[in-house]
Amino acid sequence: MTHDPRIIPLDIQGQICPSCLLLTLKLLNESGAQVRAGTAVLEVLTDDRQATTTIPDAVAKMGYRCEVTRDAGLYRLRIDAR
Amino acid sequence: MHRSDFCVTAMFRDPFLFGDTFLLRMLLLLVVASMALFEAARALGLLSPYPFPLLGPPSLASVAGGFVFGVGMVLAGGCVVGTLYKLGAGSLAAGVAFLGMLAGSALYAEGHAEWTAVTRATRLHDEALTVAQWLGVPPAMLILPLAGLGAALLYRWFRAGRMTRPSHALGHIQPWRAALILAGVGLFSWLLVGMPLGITTAYAKLGAQVESWFWPQHVAALAFFSAQPLAYQPPFVDQVVRGGPGPALDAVAAIQYPLIVGILLGALASALCLGEFRPRWRVPRRQLLSALLGGLLLGLGARMVPGCNIWHLWGGLPILALQSLLFLLGLVPGAWLGSRLLTRFVIRR
Repeated sequence: MTHDPRIIPLDIQGQICPSCLLLTLKLLNESGAQVRAGTAVLEVLTDDRQATTTIPDAVAKMGYRCEVTRDAGLYRLRIDAR
Repeated sequence: MHRSDFCVTAMFRDPFLFGDTFLLRMLLLLVVASMALFEAARALGLLSPYPFPLLGPPSLASVAGGFVFGVGMVLAGGCVVGTLYKLGAGSLAAGVAFLGMLAGSALYAEGHAEWTAVTRATRLHDEALTVAQWLGVPPAMLILPLAGLGAALLYRWFRAGRMTRPSHALGHIQPWRAALILAGVGLFSWLLVGMPLGITTAYAKLGAQVESWFWPQHVAALAFFSAQPLAYQPPFVDQVVRGGPGPALDAVAAIQYPLIVGILLGALASALCLGEFRPRWRVPRRQLLSALLGGLLLGLGARMVPGCNIWHLWGGLPILALQSLLFLLGLVPGAWLGSRLLTRFVIRR
């Protein structure tokens, strides 16, 4: 039996740059083992357009996968293990 | 700027924070393109006056001003123009930084006489405004080889795919395209009003206007607000126009107020078209305080230099203005210190 991974949310709407990338990397450092094991995924909600470039780029270099979707004028970034 | 997120602050901050120099390459493209455009226009006799007005002789005071500006822009989350387009898209933090800039610009007026003395005492040359003038050589002799070198470097980066980066943002414009458009806008501004894009004297003006509602006599007595450093004959005008940081509606107001309103409305229209405009109120208090302090330093630094990053990096650097080079010399360590302060005290979970 497989379990859906736990979602670790991070809402960074309205925060000054570069909160998105900094806080995502910080959270990924804390929860990296769970994400790599497939037991958790990070879900970042942001209004920062630049984050849709910088976060996928940065986490890809760390070996993670990032999927970006647009949701009511915001961007949802789902980061999980490759 | 909104569509491509052409953030000058990130250009100087991200190399220190993330080792990311992508946006810095975009700045190099803007400067190299502006070098070529300005130099071509100058050779055709289209740029008058040359160098443009309001540039001063080189002084180490500009390094100090650049440093303060660099710290301020990182703490504020954007430079003078950056916070404007972010404010237009609905950012409360950018609005707070905007108010801080007005306060910082007005605060500078209190110490203007003392700072002018420092500027004079640390002056490196009495007359030369550009490197070419200092060395006594034609501008093309320096600017064209540098532009050629920069172009060769950029060509290699383009070939290696280092000038583009995928984005998932709706309606995204690749920053290299924005850099070329902005170089064109800078040339257009010089051709139309006789100088490249500049904006910060208008912040002092707005600050003076607000201050004069409360303390009109004090504002009237300050020498900084009665000075009119701008006195020149723009293209398409048959008389000399004047302007300064005081609250009067003068040439500075005529040139810079429309630019402020234009950037705000442009970003607002862009965000509305994308369905991404929304006032964003939920900002951590620590970040609002940082935006206010950063804005204050931006306003103060911009008057100490004098001039902001847009004026000096997009306008002065392409003609190798000495004041702009000294500003850059202070801006880089300022951005480094700002980055350290930001990660240590401001952005926390």
